[in-house]
Amino acid sequence: MQHEDPRNGESDHRSSKKPKLSSKFITESDIRDEFSHHHPRVARINNGSFGSCPGSVLTAQRHLQLQFLRQPDAFYFNTLRDGITASRKIIKDFINADHVDEVSLVDNATTAAAIVLQRIGRSFAEGKFQKNDTVLMLHCAFQAVKKSIQAYVTRAGGSVIEVRLPFPVNSEEEIISEFKKSIEEGKSNGRKIRLAIIDHITSMPSLVIPVKELVRICRAEGIEQVFVDAAHAIGSVKVDVKEVGADFYVSNLHKWFFCPPSVAFLYCKKSTSSSDLHHPVVSHEYGNGLPVESAWIGTRDYSSQLVVPAVLEFVNRFEGGIDGIMKRNHDEVVKMGKMLVESWGTNLGSPPEMSAAMIMVGLPSRLCLNSEEDAVTLRSHLRDRYEVEVPIFHQVSKDGEEGVRDKDGFITGYLRMGKCAKCFIRNEEAVMKVGAAFHGINICVLPSF
Amino acid sequence: MNSTSASAAVTPQPLFITPPEVFSEFSHHHPSVARINNGGFGCCPSSLISSQRQIQLQWLRQPDEFFFNQLQPGMLRSRNVIKELINADHVDEVSIVDNASTAISIVLQHMAWGFAEGKFRSGDATVMFHCTYGAVKKSVEAYFVRAGGYVIEVPLPFPVNSDDEILQEFRQALEKAKQSGRSVRLAIIDHVTFMPTVVMPVKQLVSICREAGIDHIFIDAAHGIGCVDVDMKQIGADFYTKNLHKWLFCPPSAAFLYCRKSNEISALHHPVVTHQYGNGLATESSWIGTRDYSAQLVVPKVLEFVNRFEGGIDGIKRRNHDAVVGMGEMLGKAWGTHLGCPPHMCSSMVMVGLPACLQVSSDQDTLKLRTYLRDKFGVEVAIYYRPPKDGEVGPLTGYARISYQVYNKIKLLELDTDTEKLLLLLLLLWIIDITGKKYLSLLQPKATTLPLSH
Repeated sequence: MQHEDPRNGESDHRSSKKPKLSSKFITESDIRDEFSHHHPRVARINNGSFGSCPGSVLTAQRHLQLQFLRQPDAFYFNTLRDGITASRKIIKDFINADHVDEVSLVDNATTAAAIVLQRIGRSFAEGKFQKNDTVLMLHCAFQAVKKSIQAYVTRAGGSVIEVRLPFPVNSEEEIISEFKKSIEEGKSNGRKIRLAIIDHITSMPSLVIPVKELVRICRAEGIEQVFVDAAHAIGSVKVDVKEVGADFYVSNLHKWFFCPPSVAFLYCKKSTSSSDLHHPVVSHEYGNGLPVESAWIGTRDYSSQLVVPAVLEFVNRFEGGIDGIMKRNHDEVVKMGKMLVESWGTNLGSPPEMSAAMIMVGLPSRLCLNSEEDAVTLRSHLRDRYEVEVPIFHQVSKDGEEGVRDKDGFITGYLRMGKCAKCFIRNEEAVMKVGAAFHGINICVLPSF
Repeated sequence: MNSTSASAAVTPQPLFITPPEVFSEFSHHHPSVARINNGGFGCCPSSLISSQRQIQLQWLRQPDEFFFNQLQPGMLRSRNVIKELINADHVDEVSIVDNASTAISIVLQHMAWGFAEGKFRSGDATVMFHCTYGAVKKSVEAYFVRAGGYVIEVPLPFPVNSDDEILQEFRQALEKAKQSGRSVRLAIIDHVTFMPTVVMPVKQLVSICREAGIDHIFIDAAHGIGCVDVDMKQIGADFYTKNLHKWLFCPPSAAFLYCRKSNEISALHHPVVTHQYGNGLATESSWIGTRDYSAQLVVPKVLEFVNRFEGGIDGIKRRNHDAVVGMGEMLGKAWGTHLGCPPHMCSSMVMVGLPACLQVSSDQDTLKLRTYLRDKFGVEVAIYYRPPKDGEVGPLTGYARISYQVYNKIKLLELDTDTEKLLLLLLLLWIIDITGKKYLSLLQPKATTLPLSH
């Protein structure tokens, strides 16, 4: 029997033959454990839609939920507000905001859009804005944001300008140029652009937008306020709100930042007008500032907002923390995307530097994806038949414009590949599954590597 | 082989949930806190927490699949359960939202558009009782007043002795509005008021509103189901909201908003707008972006739980009412005080006058007394300050709002054990002549001795 080193304390003598490596960082097996609640066979390459949450954070969340149920009054009076303030402070530091009063926690980016747009609507209703003053947005803005503009801006008499982004895109300059053109159009006929809504990372098709430059252009052109919809940003690109320079900036924490569903932060740069922002669900905190209003919107489960400190602990178990995760996600998704385009003979939707943890991969033209319905059908088919979860984008060809071709025809569809911190299925497995699925649809050869 | 020979030894299964099972269902409650404030945040049994967890895990396992295949059917199931429970005509009339605060925001936003779009004129009014829930008053300020509306507050007599006293005040207020030439566009009526708690004669109040030609009637029944009878057709309001986590055992949080079918129903919108905008409030409310909908999806399981009790929700309601009235009367007798209203105007909550020696003389005092009871004695009970009226001699200024729910236990003095605790400690305070202000001073950081060490 081997002599035990007394410094080891109690230990299984059988394992003492192997050197005990104290792992500084989370291991692959730890990660599998953390995400063991994910469906074991589904190739989950759509982290962008609903995000993911590790087991240790879910445990922390449960603990908070039980604390509330155990003695809700005490929780309300003694724990809730301080807990939300603690989460807000963490976010404030993360995003380089000046003051914690600039950071509110809300359910999701959709709620944040309603907050900002409701105020715009009020300004029209109260005569501060003229009929036909304008709101500018990207044509591929998230559908909920478009509807929110309809509900609050158009209904109140405002008009909307859509910036048509080129896709596929080859450089940031193409986007900047379109943006400038739209501003010109917007200012024609004496209209004032009251608000510009710019995605930091568009949803479909997914691109990283040069927000800093676009915000600078907005300021130079006298656009009153800028709202950056960065639903996908935190945890996939660096977020520095002072650098970006917008008036409002929102990002979901449950997409790429491992929070349970759901929580987002809304940053509002301190100004005279920021005091007139209100949460649409009014409570007795009305008038005490948006962060305080948002921290109490009636009885509900606030645990996902309170669990941010546990999330930070999780993220810091990875080498390089969130920066390390972001870099690895990006490198891996680009690698995966390139594998597929090479075997399919198609193209990426953007150069790698304009993608973060998601990339658009051209689908073979032989799929004959001709409509939105086709895209939905294909997605369901991939889910039900091949256990692959991946959103499909239908590229509408512009009149008179030549689209991108592969050897068989025009490329009309893209899949949005998203990668998140080595979720259960490894890269190669995921790509194999996707390749096999399309092979099964009898379209193209399996990628070989 | 005679297979029935074993049947003689079989004991019949209990038909209903037993007290030990109830205890087990609420074993996650703090064991040494006397929890007599169910009206505050409600409660949720373990079996429902488990059901909720299963739903949460289903989502986390494969969220896209859940979103596309399970979420909407699940929400529809919950809405259908509620529709049956409240006797609504059509499931389209039932939307599920987070809580009553959300519901009132929906209705008031609609009113605000009425002003902005010229349907209402500046100065048109809303009428509500003065004890309307604070969040509702703020919502009225944020949406209705800001858009140009005017508020008429009706005083709620308290203590109150009959429905007529309330109806009288309401009629007077409407008469005054009529004489001043104001159009009343909206009436906001509590089914069961929050503080002080009283069951309002909603049916008659709605009739009065209809007679007066009030356009829209909104009933805030945050404390409705499980506390009082809820029948939409009988009540006849335009909008009715109720929290399901207070008295119907849902996890936090879920509520329904009933909107009577009319031309206007399509104009109601959830303030958080998604791609479902324009598809009807019920559909809009069932998707307001990525979030945890499990509390709303678990509603069918709530019915299962409730039906384990004898008489289902009606049985629970009846027993809660009888128990809480009994407790209130016993406390009132012991303290030489009285109930805030007659038993038929009590729900599963009752207002009991506090001994005058406690000298509750402001809202601040109520908070301090409540904190003191929680921190020093492990008693959770809401306290109400009732300002004295001019000319009143020796009125009671403090009331405790006692709640009774299935997890409270009747014992020894035929009081709920938790209320027993409250009774005894307050009796003690009274006996050893600790005046009201003394407890306030005992909240100073330096205080280390409890009065009971005397």
